[in-house]
Amino acid sequence: MALTIGDLTVSYRQQGRWLDVVREVSLSIQPGQTYGLVGESGSGKTTLALAVMRYLGEHGRIRQGTIELAGLNLLTLDEASLVRARRDLIRLVPQNPQSSLNPSMRIGEQVAETLPGLSESEGKRRVLALLSSVRLPDPERVMQSYPHQLSGGMLQRVMIAMALSGEPALLILDEPTTNLDATTEAAILDLIRDLIRARRTAVLYVSHSLSLISQLCERVAVLYAGELVEDAPVGELFQRPLHPYTQGLLDSVPRIGQNKRAAELRPIPGQIPRAGERPPGCVFAPRCHLANALCEQARPPLDTPGEGRRVRCHRWPEIAAGAVGANQIVERYGFRVHAPTRQRTTHSAPPVVLAVTHLQKRFPVRRTLGEWLNARPPRQIEAVRGVDLEISRGRTLGLVGESGSGKTTVARCIIGLSERSGGEVALLDIPLAPSIAQRAPDLLRRLQMVLQNPDEALNPYLNVGEILGRPLQKLAGYAPADAARGVSRLLEAVKLDPATAARLPGQLSGGEKQRVAIARAFATRPDLILFDEPVSALDMSVQAAILNLIAELQRESRHSVLLISHDLAVVGYLADEVIVMYLGRAMEVARTEDIFTPPHHPYTEALLSAIPVMPRPGESPLTRAQPIHLDGDIPSPMDAPAGCPFHTRCPRSLGEICARQEPPWQVGQNGRRVFCHIPLDDLEKAQRTNSDREPRVDF
Amino acid sequence: MSAHQRLRSLTLMAVVLIALLAGCGAPAASPTTAPAAQRQGALRIAFEIPAKLDPAFASADSEIAILNAIYDYLIDVNTESKIVPRLAAQWTTSADGLTYTFTLASGAAFHDGSPVTAQDVVWTFDRLRDPQLKLPTSSLYENIAGITATGDKVVTFKLKQTNPFFLYDLSDNHALVLKAGTTDAATKFNGSGPFRVVSYSPENRMELAANDKYFIAGKPGLASLTFIFFKDQTASVNALRGGQVDLVMRMPSALFKTLQSEQGLTTVSIPTNGFDEVRLRADRKPGNDPRVVKAFKLATDRKAIFQTVSLGLGAAGRDSPIGPLFKAFYSEETPLPARDPKAAKDLLAQAGYPNGLKLDLHVPDSGDRPDLAVVLKEQWKDAGIDANVVVEPESVYYGNNGWLEVDLGITGWGSRPIPQFYLDVMLVTGAKWNEAHWSDAELDKLAKTAGTTLDEAERAKAYKDIQRILIERGPIIIPYFFAQFGAVKNTFTGFNLNAFAGRTDLAAIRVK
Amino acid sequence: MADEGAPPFLSVLYAQAASAFGTSVVLLFLFVAVFGPLFAPYSPTQQIASEARQPPSPQHWFGADRLGRDVFSRVVYGARDIISLAGLGSLLAVIAGTLFGLISGYRGGLFDELLFRLFDAFLSLPSLLLALLLLGTLGPSRNSVLIVIVFVYTPIVARVVRSVVLGVRHKGFIEAAQMRGEAGWYILFREILPSVLPALAVEAALRFSYAIFLVSSLGFLGVGVQPPNPDWGLMVSEGRNTISLTPWALYFPVGAISLLVIGVNLMADGVRRALQGEA
Repeated sequence: MALTIGDLTVSYRQQGRWLDVVREVSLSIQPGQTYGLVGESGSGKTTLALAVMRYLGEHGRIRQGTIELAGLNLLTLDEASLVRARRDLIRLVPQNPQSSLNPSMRIGEQVAETLPGLSESEGKRRVLALLSSVRLPDPERVMQSYPHQLSGGMLQRVMIAMALSGEPALLILDEPTTNLDATTEAAILDLIRDLIRARRTAVLYVSHSLSLISQLCERVAVLYAGELVEDAPVGELFQRPLHPYTQGLLDSVPRIGQNKRAAELRPIPGQIPRAGERPPGCVFAPRCHLANALCEQARPPLDTPGEGRRVRCHRWPEIAAGAVGANQIVERYGFRVHAPTRQRTTHSAPPVVLAVTHLQKRFPVRRTLGEWLNARPPRQIEAVRGVDLEISRGRTLGLVGESGSGKTTVARCIIGLSERSGGEVALLDIPLAPSIAQRAPDLLRRLQMVLQNPDEALNPYLNVGEILGRPLQKLAGYAPADAARGVSRLLEAVKLDPATAARLPGQLSGGEKQRVAIARAFATRPDLILFDEPVSALDMSVQAAILNLIAELQRESRHSVLLISHDLAVVGYLADEVIVMYLGRAMEVARTEDIFTPPHHPYTEALLSAIPVMPRPGESPLTRAQPIHLDGDIPSPMDAPAGCPFHTRCPRSLGEICARQEPPWQVGQNGRRVFCHIPLDDLEKAQRTNSDREPRVDF
Repeated sequence: MSAHQRLRSLTLMAVVLIALLAGCGAPAASPTTAPAAQRQGALRIAFEIPAKLDPAFASADSEIAILNAIYDYLIDVNTESKIVPRLAAQWTTSADGLTYTFTLASGAAFHDGSPVTAQDVVWTFDRLRDPQLKLPTSSLYENIAGITATGDKVVTFKLKQTNPFFLYDLSDNHALVLKAGTTDAATKFNGSGPFRVVSYSPENRMELAANDKYFIAGKPGLASLTFIFFKDQTASVNALRGGQVDLVMRMPSALFKTLQSEQGLTTVSIPTNGFDEVRLRADRKPGNDPRVVKAFKLATDRKAIFQTVSLGLGAAGRDSPIGPLFKAFYSEETPLPARDPKAAKDLLAQAGYPNGLKLDLHVPDSGDRPDLAVVLKEQWKDAGIDANVVVEPESVYYGNNGWLEVDLGITGWGSRPIPQFYLDVMLVTGAKWNEAHWSDAELDKLAKTAGTTLDEAERAKAYKDIQRILIERGPIIIPYFFAQFGAVKNTFTGFNLNAFAGRTDLAAIRVK
Repeated sequence: MADEGAPPFLSVLYAQAASAFGTSVVLLFLFVAVFGPLFAPYSPTQQIASEARQPPSPQHWFGADRLGRDVFSRVVYGARDIISLAGLGSLLAVIAGTLFGLISGYRGGLFDELLFRLFDAFLSLPSLLLALLLLGTLGPSRNSVLIVIVFVYTPIVARVVRSVVLGVRHKGFIEAAQMRGEAGWYILFREILPSVLPALAVEAALRFSYAIFLVSSLGFLGVGVQPPNPDWGLMVSEGRNTISLTPWALYFPVGAISLLVIGVNLMADGVRRALQGEA
């Protein structure tokens, strides 16, 4: 065994009390094995990783248990030996490489520090080799660079290079891709996978995302509220989850291609208990749809239902036998791609609620003193370069793209928080002034937006009643006396207890805050609601509920929705139509049903292949299709490439023409439009062959 | 030189006591030297850091004390304010009072061995009075018509007009005799005085050794003298307590009070001619009404002020600058009316202030003056006078002649060896610093008489009348005269504190 | 949790020994300031020449100073003076600073740039020096000291407020208010001000303690409150000259200043903790 954790309990001191954050967790990792540790925020997964390093600080302590690494008992080591063990045996790739690298040292020097005892030339050779091994372009230049000169993805590669220097017994990856864009994330995962295959290092991969874990790991341990609730080989876990929490997690996030009309997501009700508020019986009982009296009173033991499987649930035999929750299990994978939908039965075209034509947004860049003195004209960032879109009543348009694509700017220009530089925006045929300050109250009422971060969207010093009462009175015409009733009705509409009105945002969970934020937008009965990344800041288990709520509210009130997301699965679930954006321009417009099938724009293709997909039953991470690699990062919007904006990274680039000439909008079936030089037929043919070449293999 | 600068230098420049205008010289000391064996012991004196050590520019106590040990004055003023011989063993005055002739002591010699000659004296005073050089003394000596060496050891001064106080002028702080042609007085220290400089480390200390060939018998009494410099007086006093120094002069009265109870010290406190003056402008309302002036005087309890503000040190005042140290002139003939706030209130009512009087009392922030103001405010309150105390930094109070403008103010006046000075500059009509803007024909006449007559009795009579006028109607209150303090280890004797501490005769100190 | 209700403010302040001590000290001084004249045995300016320089005794608890004034009475009346002066001054500075900080921080642009460059220029001078410069032109008096406190501390408060405003200005809830078409004043006072309050409460307490110090320093330097007012700084300045003779006339006002300043600071700490714990 490389790493053996036995019966580990870790406590943190909070306001004078010691609270167990990790409770009686055991697991072991063999050399060469990749072990996934999955859990939501508050599950104790990071604490567990830190405990292995014995980096708990003065407020944390290991109350009981053992940690053995390569035969060494880490808990009894003295300080000097511990430092040596950390240096020689353990490597950590953290979530945020920026804060782990010294900003004032060149990359080469920092990497060299992990290779003690080498001569200068030998050291340099090794550093170069390491940087090349993580597929960094131009490693010589990277060596000479300072951290701020490199992008997040390159820095994470450097961190990985440093982690792989020497022969560590254990490599800990703590959410290494969380802060990266989708295409970059895919490339990093790919790299990690290859490196792991080539070595016999034990890997502990910590993540909040089951789908990410599924890309890499052979085994998965699921943590909930500090307890290990299920532990299984990845294929079995996805195929036959035995713990209701694991089931819930699998249900709560949409998978690519799953749409609201086909199957509703099944959210897990409630929220993770805080340390110190642990229920007496099963930790998951308060949220479990299968919980019975036994679950509420007695803590279930960690059973071994089969070879290499562990589960902490009283009712696993029933679940395994399909006696309970069977209907869920069946329904869970039963998504299909529908062509027609229930709502599309009326044939008269619904009225257009929002029409945007050739929207442009330029941000001036402050000139430096030197530029100012040399009378250089001020430069501009072209965030949005001519976007057209239309949303009909009751319909949902999804706007998808990576960071820097300009999708959020489009939304802000529509709502008027940013003043557009060009183009027209009309709501129900009424032209909208660029600035929100110039818009009439009735237009304000008709157009609302749910902001990205629910923590910042609610004033922490106003209670929910005040937050919701104000728009009711200000825009929806409520008399002050009626406002309280209106607030109750709103809270019920978003499935919150009307008593929530008295609470402050700080007393709400992330999901509850987002419900309040949605209720606030909904309060004015708008014709159009803009959602900016509605679930990206939320824990997995509550995402589903929010997505369901958005869909349900829309079904009832028939407002239109503009949905901004980087997550194709989320957009695919909620939207009727999708626009894929890149560098301030639309690359592809298609019905949601069509977007997942060829012919794609090459950029859409890359995005689709980059997004980690949970394995279908029986799938294994090692046999999944390789994502398409995009070289480098998104170019700066300050000097976007001429011709097709994507040509610098496009794997299917035709060369000269793409770099010189702006591509045409090719129109395909069902109104699909693709901004590309490559004929749609050619695209479709190439893309179909590609997926044929690497067929999915079932167990 | 602006008024306030001048006044400040005056405050520092307290010179000796009772003015006995002895027109004749005391008998000359015999020019024998004390045997070196008699000189023993070392004295360490704490002083503030000296800045200017050229006699022509020196003014602070520390500077004068050092120079007085190294150099000699032509004639000196003793602690009783009497003129006594120094380099000049004797002198005569002509009948018309215009010619003074000085004979130098034989045996007086500079530390470099050359004898002190009449030429050196002529050179010294010609330099001090040279209008081209613009030295601080040039106006003091502008009455001198000429100085001549009428022999190797004889010097004659001729005056333009009679000056009853000429001998005091000659003993001015700056008037230390240098060797003719000296250009480096501030660094070479080639004096004729009782001590010679052994080493000088600026801002730290100066070591001196006895001048074995000093011409005055029995002086100096010490083998060596060390000046140790301190930044402030508290540090000096602490050094005395801690045994790092043997002698300290000049200190705040509170510190002196505590030294009095210290073992092993001899403490000395003497009154000076310096005083704080409270004055009311007499040329405009409300001070132009004699009843108001009277009311202020009646509302004030000078004795109580002397006891609390001056801690009973120095001397109580009688509203006149002619203090008890001027033994020949001081008079208590006119009684000082007792404090009577009721009467004062009535007077104010008669003068048209039935509801009392409200005035700003301007006071510089130095010395005991703020305390004096606070005590006055409290005393005057009973008489219906509401004084609003305005404490200002000295530079503000004296700046732009503001102190001459305000209605009610407190001004400190430095010690002077003759009373005439105060009359001429602060009390006669149109005087340069007549802060009260007072004009009294009778006083003017008396002051003129006192300042010109060569008849001592007439002068004394005039001063007496002036004191009466000031008590009766002068728009000023002088509650006290300052004290000068000194403390020395009681293993020493011969410490005779001078009102201007720098002029204390260090050569007279010896080990018990 | 909300159901139990937020703990009363005072009990939070008393939860920790240090802030409990600070709060007690401040309350004690407030009590003395308000009711002091009822139990001070003498008038603060009454001089009993015969009792001058008496050490502490049952008759004069803190002794009598060199002019025969009762030091205890002077300290008691001084508390009223300094607390009212420092309190009013810091209150006005907090109000002015809040207005400047809120408006300037929210509006931004050239106005903000110019105003805060100006404030920076003020802040680059030590506050005591700035105070001295101002008093030089205003002349020493109680009102001048008040003006000086307001003038010296307004930029500091404004800076603190502005920094909070800048942190909040682009938050979602402000944009949500803009989406409702709220007026500028509503956003400033209803949406932003509550976020500023915790920092402001701490800042106000700190300003109060610094104002005590400033008033005392100015009194000590003789440019603030004028004698014979029982200003603590003035008493220290006067007592310093007679430290060897009447040390009690120095030590008691020094002790009062230190105790009050420390007390206010400890309480400010407690206030900060209380507000953070609540948020």
